[in-house]
Amino acid sequence: MTAITRRRLLTSAGAGAAGIGLGGATGFLVGQETAEAKTDGTGSVPFYGEHQAGIDTPAQDRLHFAAFDLVTENRTELRELLREWSRAAAEMTTGDMIGDANSVELAPPEDTGETVGLLPSRLTITIGFGPSLFERKGLGLQSKRPAALREIPPLPADELNAGESGGDICVQACSDDPQVAFHAVRNQARIGRGTVVMRWSQLGFGRTASTSRSQDTPRNLMGFKDGTANIRAEDTEAMQRFVWVGNEGPAWMRGGSYLVTRRIRMLLEVWDRSALEDQEATIGRDKYEGAPLGGSKESDPLDLDAERGGEPAIPVDAHVRLASASANGGERILRRGYSFTDGVDESLGELEAGLFFICFQRHPERQFVAIQRRLGSSDALNEYIKHVGSAVFAVPPGARSGGYVGETLLA
Amino acid sequence: MNRSLVRTALTVAAAALLAVFAAACGSSDDAPKGAKTMSFELTDAGCVPNTAKAPAGPITFNVENAGTSKVSEFEVLDGDTILGEKENLSDGLSGSFSLTLEQGEYTLYCPGGDDEKGTLTVSGELKSANSPRVEEAIAQYRDYLEQNTAELVTATAPFVAAVEAGDIEKAKGLYAPARIPYERIEPVAESFGDLDPRIDARENDVPAKEWSGFHVIEKALWDEDTAAGMAPVAKQLLADIEELARKVKTVELQAVQIANGANELLGEVSASKITGEEERYSHIDLVDFEANVEGAEAAFEAVEPLLSDKDPKLAKEIEAHFEDVYAALKPYRRGDGFVSYTELTQADTRKLAQEIDALAELLSEVPAQIVSE
Repeated sequence: MTAITRRRLLTSAGAGAAGIGLGGATGFLVGQETAEAKTDGTGSVPFYGEHQAGIDTPAQDRLHFAAFDLVTENRTELRELLREWSRAAAEMTTGDMIGDANSVELAPPEDTGETVGLLPSRLTITIGFGPSLFERKGLGLQSKRPAALREIPPLPADELNAGESGGDICVQACSDDPQVAFHAVRNQARIGRGTVVMRWSQLGFGRTASTSRSQDTPRNLMGFKDGTANIRAEDTEAMQRFVWVGNEGPAWMRGGSYLVTRRIRMLLEVWDRSALEDQEATIGRDKYEGAPLGGSKESDPLDLDAERGGEPAIPVDAHVRLASASANGGERILRRGYSFTDGVDESLGELEAGLFFICFQRHPERQFVAIQRRLGSSDALNEYIKHVGSAVFAVPPGARSGGYVGETLLA
Repeated sequence: MNRSLVRTALTVAAAALLAVFAAACGSSDDAPKGAKTMSFELTDAGCVPNTAKAPAGPITFNVENAGTSKVSEFEVLDGDTILGEKENLSDGLSGSFSLTLEQGEYTLYCPGGDDEKGTLTVSGELKSANSPRVEEAIAQYRDYLEQNTAELVTATAPFVAAVEAGDIEKAKGLYAPARIPYERIEPVAESFGDLDPRIDARENDVPAKEWSGFHVIEKALWDEDTAAGMAPVAKQLLADIEELARKVKTVELQAVQIANGANELLGEVSASKITGEEERYSHIDLVDFEANVEGAEAAFEAVEPLLSDKDPKLAKEIEAHFEDVYAALKPYRRGDGFVSYTELTQADTRKLAQEIDALAELLSEVPAQIVSE
C-alpha cells in the first residue's frame, strides 16, 4: 500500500470527489493506484527524465504559473540561471529544502521555508522558452528558434492585455498542495533576481482537465465537466502523434512540446442567469452527467450527426462540436488548465475569474491556433468568455540527472 | 520612516551587533563557544532575577515566561540603546540570544512588570577582536556618518529658520537638501531609541499628539500652504537633529552592522520610497530613494575590501548593480533633483522596484561573508 497523502485522505472520505455517483468513467480506487504509478509512492514526481514532468503527469490540483523576461543578454548568465533552476527544482520535487545554507544566522536562508514539513505533493516544475527569448540579439540564439515557435497571431474575439501575455521564459509549477506550488515559483523568481524579472503570474485552483485515465473529469467554473475528450497520458500513440516533438523540429526540441496559455475570463454573472438549456446548448453536453447532447453517458463519443426534433442534437455552434477533432481535421491537443479567480474587476465590480487554459502540442499553428481560430469566430461560448492573456513557449525535453533543462539548446 | 520598521530596525541593529560580537568569538550561528549562560524568568514582578553579575565576554541569555501575562519581553540595554532582546514570549514560551559585553552596568528591562528594570553588572577585561582592516572599514563608515550628520545640521538650520520666519517658498526649497543627508544614514538614527520617529515619523506612524519632525512641516507647507504654528515644531526638529549628530560620534560600529545597514536602506526604498508613501505632500520620494541608495553604497564601499577577499565576484556584481540602479534613476532627473513622484507611471515604478530587488538580493549575502573577519 503506497503512502497516503493528505489529499487522498480527504477524497477517500467522500468529500466532494468529482464524478462519484455521477457516472464517472473509472472506479475511484483503481484510479488512485494508476495515478500513484507516476510517482515513486512518496508523492514525488522525478524532475529528471526523457520528457519534462508536468505534461503527461496526471494533473495536480493547484497551479502557480509565471512568465519572466530576461534582463541580460549574456548566454552564460542564462545557462547559469537554468542550471540553478534545475537544481532547485530537483530539490523541491523531492521535498528537500533548496541549497545547504538555511541555518546561517547572518545570511537570509536559501529556501524561503514555507514548505518545511510539507510533502512534495506531486510537485512538477516545467520550464519553457518564448519566441521573444530568441529575438534577444545578445544571446545569439536567433538561428535556433524552432519554426513552430511563433507568437500566437491575433485571433477572432481576442481582447488581450499585453501585460498578461508573452514572456521570454516560463515556469509552470503544479502540485496538489497550493503552498508547494506557490513556493516553487516564488523561489525560482528569487533565484532569478538580477537575470530575469517577473512579467506576469497566475495562481490556479482546481484542475480543469484529466490527463490520466485514473482521474475523474473535474468541473470548471461554469459548472460543466471539462476535459472529457482530452488526450490521456496513457494514450502513448496520441501523445506521440499530437504532443511530443519528433524529428520535425530542431534536434534540441526533440522530446519536448509547445505550451500555449490563454487566460480566459468567464462572464460568470451573465452565465449564471442563463437557462439550463442555453448553457447545455452552448457547451454541447448535458450539465450534470456530462454526456454529449443526444447521448446518455459522459463517455459516449460525440455524434455530430445525431438529430433531435429535426435539428442537430449538438448545435452547429456548440463548443464541443467546434473544438472536436472531427471539426479540426483530426487535430487534438493535451489540455491541462486550471480555474482561477483574482478578486473583483475594479471597473465592473464583478468577479474576475475563469479558466487559465493550458495546452501542449507538437504544432501550435496546426493545433491550438487553428482550433481557436474556429472557436473565436463561431463558438456560442464567446458570449460568456473573453481571452485576456496569451502566451506560447517551447518546452525543451527533460534534463538528465546532473544536467539542466535547456542544456540541449545552450550546451 | 515606517513605524513597524523602527522596531525591526532596532532589533536588526541590535541583532547585527550581537551577531558580530558572537562572531568575534569564532562562531556565526548558535551560542559562541565558552559563552556564559544566564537564565531569567519573566514573572509579574518583571525580570527574575533582576540583579545579576557576569564577567566581560560572551553571554547567552536564556529567557522563559514563567506564567505571566503582564510581561512578554526581555531586553538588555546600554543606556537607551537596546543591545539584545527577546519579544513575544507569552506564557510557557522561552527564547535566547547572545551578546558579548564589556565591563559596565547594563539595564535589564521587562516591560509591564511591577519592577520593570534591573541591573546587570559586567566586570573584567574584554579582548578586542577587530583586525586592522575591519578597523579601517569602521573608520571609513564613521567618517561618512559624521560628514552626513554635519551636513544634516548645516542643511536643517536654514530650513528651520525659513519656517520660523513664515517664508513658505523658501522653506519648500530647503526641504530636500535637509532630507538627503538624513535618508543616507537613517538606520543609524533608528538605533537611538525614539530619535528616528521624532525626526521622521509620517502622520499615521505615531499617535497624533506625538507627531513631530520633518513630515509635520511637510504637510503644513505643501498640503495646507502655511507655516503657521510650525515654529516650535521646526525648533524641536533642529534640536533632535543636533542630538543625533552628537550621538553618532559615540556610536559603536561593527562591520556586519554596517553591511546590514546597507540592506536596511534598500528595504526603506522598497517599503516606502518606491510607493510614494514617504513624502506624501512634497512628492520628493525619488530624492529620498537616491539618498537611501547612496547611503547603502557608502556602507557597502566601507566593507567592500573585506568582501573582495572572500568573494570578489559578488563584490563586482554588487558594484555593477549599483550602477544599474543609478542608470534606472537617470531618466527621472530634473534640475538638481527629480520629477515629482506623481509623474511616475506603474511601468516606471515597476522597473525601479525590480532593479532594487536585484541589487538588494545580492547585498543580503554580504554580512554572512564578512563575519569571520
